[in-house]
Amino acid sequence: MPEAEAIRLAQQGNAAAFERLYRLHNRRVYSLCLRMVGNTAGAEDLTQEAFLQLFRKIATFRGESAFSTWLHRLAVNVVLMKLRKKSGTETSLDELTEPDEESGGPRRDFGGPDLRLSGSIDRVHLQRAVEQLPPGYKAVFVLHDIQGYEHNEIAEIMDCSIGNSKSQLHKARMRLRELLHEATRDKAREDRKAASADSGGED
Amino acid sequence: MALMTCRAFLNDLRLRMEGTPSLDAEAHIRNCPSCRHITEDLNAIHSAARSWRAEEIEPPAHLWASLRLQLEREGLIRDDRGSQLELSNSGWFSRWFAGLPRPALAGGYLVLLIAVAFGFSRPANRQANEARWLEGTQVSTSPLSAQLTAEQVSFASFNDSNPAVTASLNKNLAIVDNYIALCEKSVQEEPQNEVARDYLYEAYQQKADLLAQMTERGENNR
Amino acid sequence: MSASYFVRQQLVCNRTWKAASLLVPGLLICSFASAAPQPRRQEQHFKVQAHPVITLHNPNGTITVKAWTKAEVMVISNRASDDVEVDAEQMGNRVDVSTHAASDNVAPEDLRADYQINVPEDAELQIHNDSGEVNVANVLGDMNVETVAAAVDLEDSAGYVTIKTVGGSFQCTRCAGKLEISSISGNLRLTDIHSFHVHAQTSTGNILFSGEFLPNGLYRLKNYSGIIEVRFSPADSFDLSATSLKGKVINEASLTPKAHQQHFYSRFGNSLFGTFNAGRAKVELTSFDGTINILKRD
Repeated sequence: MPEAEAIRLAQQGNAAAFERLYRLHNRRVYSLCLRMVGNTAGAEDLTQEAFLQLFRKIATFRGESAFSTWLHRLAVNVVLMKLRKKSGTETSLDELTEPDEESGGPRRDFGGPDLRLSGSIDRVHLQRAVEQLPPGYKAVFVLHDIQGYEHNEIAEIMDCSIGNSKSQLHKARMRLRELLHEATRDKAREDRKAASADSGGED
Repeated sequence: MALMTCRAFLNDLRLRMEGTPSLDAEAHIRNCPSCRHITEDLNAIHSAARSWRAEEIEPPAHLWASLRLQLEREGLIRDDRGSQLELSNSGWFSRWFAGLPRPALAGGYLVLLIAVAFGFSRPANRQANEARWLEGTQVSTSPLSAQLTAEQVSFASFNDSNPAVTASLNKNLAIVDNYIALCEKSVQEEPQNEVARDYLYEAYQQKADLLAQMTERGENNR
Repeated sequence: MSASYFVRQQLVCNRTWKAASLLVPGLLICSFASAAPQPRRQEQHFKVQAHPVITLHNPNGTITVKAWTKAEVMVISNRASDDVEVDAEQMGNRVDVSTHAASDNVAPEDLRADYQINVPEDAELQIHNDSGEVNVANVLGDMNVETVAAAVDLEDSAGYVTIKTVGGSFQCTRCAGKLEISSISGNLRLTDIHSFHVHAQTSTGNILFSGEFLPNGLYRLKNYSGIIEVRFSPADSFDLSATSLKGKVINEASLTPKAHQQHFYSRFGNSLFGTFNAGRAKVELTSFDGTINILKRD
């Protein structure tokens, strides 16, 4: 059943059409939710909520945008609302900035080895770092770098400008870089402690 | 010509994202190890994330069931006709229900599912004797084997319009039949051998798949 | 607005058309041209947007798909006879191409069309070709290829690739993304792979895998008989389980044995379990009576 036909039948309440639309998009939506919240239970709840909202509103879909864009916009809104409720704040996307990173030049890392990330990014560390991002940064990073949306699509999904989307993405990547460096430094520190404990000496 | 500052470079990086750097930006990268490291790190992060891109994760099966229940409760499902999903470009195996007699084969498929569940179940008593294992496997697979054999008889003279397809399907059906026979023999010799049982169930699944294809082609050629 | 193109079969005979104005020479040339079989070639172009979907149903022939930089799908078809029709339609961002018999009495060798298709690199492909060949290069979108006896060859793909063949062989070079391949008697050859998920299964064919084992990647290779050969490099890091019920397992990797082995396959057949380096990827090799080779890459 082609998608257009499934939408038409779903608007009439046809069960098979609902299922068809679910099967066409469930993996993408679930992947998005999972990458945003970092746990399967939360991702399942959010996926179900996103599709429920979709099916409740499907009668209003007129085809002004692509169906997938409409669905993903719903899914992102559901996720962001959940994350904002969890953080106890109601900040807009534009306000979700970290302490100003744009003053002066790049941060200087003093002391310690040269902790370059290239070629050594562990997926587990990256996942943990993504989970620590503020909701707005996380949404743009997941949508662009992981899910593969273009900035114009993200702007439509998140109702912001293309410039804003690029800016948020840049900040997200810079923040991830800091988090990954911290994780690398922590691990180096632990390895040194373990090595000195084994040898019985002191640092 | 004034050299680009680090602040200007980062601003430029933010604006162009993955775009080609300007000559000034390239010159700055050559001369500024710190900005060069930042650029390399950001590219590494982007590449690492990109490797996840094709990984679309399947949600658990119960999610649709739960969603459907909710849709029914809210009265959003008003037309339950054709509740079995019809896919226009579905794979062969998912079309085999359409191609084969549903009531009879549904029973056989259910038996196969039970057999698979039985095969993966962990008997509470690990010392269950081999005769029970063998009996269990045979009870599960015999009806399906009989059903598939009956279906196969009707394809004794299978002939597709494409001789290469006819030859390939017949040859591979023979391969799978041989495979089933060897797996059954192995299960008889070692009834508790889960590997042999897994292969046997998969072989039946392959046979059903092939027969479904032949059915579909036979109908198309009429 | 979507455009819709319907192609009718025509006999391409440029010489006939040009020579129509000449008398005897024209007749002679035309009669010479019509004595030998003429190719029936058509070329169509479809403008598309990002991530187009291209579907192709063909009973027999050579299909070659390549990526290009244009936001356009080009379909060049060559029919074997006038008894075969090629339909190409565009619906929104999807292009559907199919070959079918124009009459009830078509000779098997005539039921054939060859295709050369150029697509944007992010296109999604759904190809069904019963016999012949399918060659795809540099397409990064998702792909589903189903065949009975055609040989399938992919290069430089990156999406979610599912391949189903009955007897056709499969070859994949420099592919990333997610790969799921199943066959009954086809040989599967995966080289220079950079994929995080590979599930390859054939019954009587051989499986060769040579590529990177990515951290957290999952690699499952399974056959009934034949050879499964996996090549690794010293920098790889994987957790290995290899079982052949009645065949051999030959290993060149220095594995750290597991402290507790609870794998339910371990009681039967010839099995090998262990960790190579940090064990980041998961590699599962299973055969009923074939040979499993885990060898160092040259």
